[in-house]
Amino acid sequence: MLSRVAENLYWMARYLERAENTARLINTTTDVLLDLPKGASFGWDILLKLVGLDELFEEHYREANESNILRFLIQDERNPSAIVSSIRRARENSRTFREILPKEFWERVNGLYLYVQGFASSAAQNRAQRYEVLNHIIERNQSLAGLLISCMSHDLVYEFIRLGRNIERADMTTRIADINAAVLLPRQGGALEPLQERLWMSVLKALSAYQMYRRHVDVHVRGHAVLNYLLLDPHFPRTVRHCLSEIEECLAMLPNHKEVMKVTRRTWRRLTGLRWEGLAPAVLHEYLDQVQTDLGAIHVAVSNQYFYFYMRQQQTTSTVRVVNE
Amino acid sequence: MNISHDYRVSEAYDELLEPGGQPRCAARALFHYLNTLQPGELEARRQSVDAAIMTMGITFTVYSEAGNIDRAWPFDIIPRVMAKTEWMRIEEGLKQRLTALNLFINDLYNEQRIVKDGVFPLEVIAGSRNFRQQCVGITPRFGVWAHISGTDLVRDKDGTVYVLEDNLRVPSGVSYMLENRQLTKRLFPEFFQGCDILPVDDYPVQLYDALAALSPRDGERPVVAVLTPGIFNSAYFEHSYLAQQMGAFLVEGSDLMVDADDRVYMKTVSGPRRVDVIYRRIDDDFLDPEAFRPDSALGVPGLMRAWRNGKVGIANAPGSGVADDKVVYTYLPKIIRYYLDQDPIIPNVPSYLCMDEKERAYVLANLDKLVVKPANESGGYGMIIGPRASPEERAAFAELIRANPRNYMAQPTLSISTAPTLVGDCLAPRHLDLRPFILQSSRLYATTGGLTRVALKAGSLVVNSSQGGGSKDTWIVDTEDACYPA
Repeated sequence: MLSRVAENLYWMARYLERAENTARLINTTTDVLLDLPKGASFGWDILLKLVGLDELFEEHYREANESNILRFLIQDERNPSAIVSSIRRARENSRTFREILPKEFWERVNGLYLYVQGFASSAAQNRAQRYEVLNHIIERNQSLAGLLISCMSHDLVYEFIRLGRNIERADMTTRIADINAAVLLPRQGGALEPLQERLWMSVLKALSAYQMYRRHVDVHVRGHAVLNYLLLDPHFPRTVRHCLSEIEECLAMLPNHKEVMKVTRRTWRRLTGLRWEGLAPAVLHEYLDQVQTDLGAIHVAVSNQYFYFYMRQQQTTSTVRVVNE
Repeated sequence: MNISHDYRVSEAYDELLEPGGQPRCAARALFHYLNTLQPGELEARRQSVDAAIMTMGITFTVYSEAGNIDRAWPFDIIPRVMAKTEWMRIEEGLKQRLTALNLFINDLYNEQRIVKDGVFPLEVIAGSRNFRQQCVGITPRFGVWAHISGTDLVRDKDGTVYVLEDNLRVPSGVSYMLENRQLTKRLFPEFFQGCDILPVDDYPVQLYDALAALSPRDGERPVVAVLTPGIFNSAYFEHSYLAQQMGAFLVEGSDLMVDADDRVYMKTVSGPRRVDVIYRRIDDDFLDPEAFRPDSALGVPGLMRAWRNGKVGIANAPGSGVADDKVVYTYLPKIIRYYLDQDPIIPNVPSYLCMDEKERAYVLANLDKLVVKPANESGGYGMIIGPRASPEERAAFAELIRANPRNYMAQPTLSISTAPTLVGDCLAPRHLDLRPFILQSSRLYATTGGLTRVALKAGSLVVNSSQGGGSKDTWIVDTEDACYPA
């Protein structure tokens, strides 16, 4: 497979996963807002920090209020991670390999793009429609993933898609798990515990994990248990650990994976070494940051190995060892 | 809908109806079918097909000052119909033409017998920027240079079909021909059953075979790549489509490299992989910065030496554009006679060469009656349609001709044929042409029909998609059964 195509596939998967998870993040946030008691406030600007877009936002907006932030996250094309931008880029990328993906895939990506074009602004401006539109985006994205799982060969093309999807998904899971850092609870007024329980419940729901958590962990929703679940559960497909094992499986199918595998193992060791019980929110935030940095290192290793290596090759060798795929 | 009543043919030849309003033999079944439709039904089907085009993402890109615009492919749902008997003769003519053109190109880059025999003046190619010094002395496999030709045909008032031009560089449109048929099948499924419309869909396989035959490594399944300038090219949809249909790799210049032994490789995730045949969709100028334009970022350094040394097949071969030239075109009847000792089966449009003093004088005196075209531009740019231009425009164009006569040729304004086209909910005549695609490699092949391009504006003669043209499905109909008495 061409290195350029591999890179485009990888990024297409990341963009789609990013759009879906941004939609999930916004839906949770909206949900959390409805549960907050009087006196509690929600730090919208922290939401921007979670997804790493606070600086870019400040370049374009004065006030970090709900309507500005939602416009920025959903429909503002100056934000490359906005839902509209992600889907547009996923569509552009998939145009470059219509010859290798099932024909329906392009039609559906294109359909999703047209849908988002039509509904992004109402989702950004109108709370009532927001939930419906964002859910629809999530649904369509899952139909895309389903199409690939069931209607294409699970070959190298597929592995690069799976690789991109899981790196992005793991990263977004850590960010969504971090959302409680954005909530500033009132110091007085008792009843903290049920409130926190509701917040963590929102996080689980955002990742469609609530039902599975209840079944496999506990009926009660407690912070450290949720974190343990979202980071370390081996069976739920949106947990960081599950994503890491997916990544490892993909890499095992790819040629020349020794270096990338090493980086992935290191991330794995560090993740399982962390203790999540009884952490202060600030420390928790740092821990999650660390996981994000480690996932970034896997991305860099993948890029060097599969997307850019040929540039080095061209400079240094004149005769070529032939390979066959 | 009552076509005979509602549809007015213009003065031009109409492909569907005879001047009296009766359907032509091959169009009879279509005519009766359209007559059974209720008012509004065509419009409803058009809307559903437009929606299909949007979701299928059939697009082409238009260059404009505002950047590249991705437009949905404008498709007219009423097919253009031609009888198989007429088509078979045209097909022979197309194959004859491409055979002669390839003999001509090979001769030009080698012995130049045709020049020595006084049939073709050397000064014509001496002035052509498409004659590539880098190709002199080479004979590609089968002696074939132009493996793929898109030849534009038009029909004049009296029904004669002429060749308007031969596109030998990177002719495009064949993917739309294939997609148009898919769309029509969705549209009129009930009609396709029981009607002898010849299929068009074997083109990708034929193209693959033609390309595979150029592989330098006999006996192995060749690696074929379609070389595209990238996603911003107007024909990118087609590049990707053809690669997909052939199971070929779609590559950009930066995906390829040439090693010290002149072999071509693709950069893959597992390392370099040998490429045997390149179907290039970029112009000679950009093909190889070592050999042609050094500033080209689209090309592959070393590609020309790989090709010259027989390490890779390239279609169309570099340099084949020398015969894609409107001045060369005017010599084609002579070229066919010279190499094949045959009369041309499809005539050329009578043409006047501005490089010839007498003919130039005639052109300048009759600008108001002629179409004048630059010798080697494509896409309908830089031409003038005399009868439709203002006196000022004609005067300005006369200056261009005087300044660079080699660069221009002129033809009488043909009254090119029309066919019913859906405008709103009515059928109206619109002018059209036909671009079949012809392949030559180890053997010859022509598409069944081709891409019918139609000028969507009333009275317009310009069918190029870059200038507001659309397209139709083209039906070659076996009329042996269809011509039962109505």
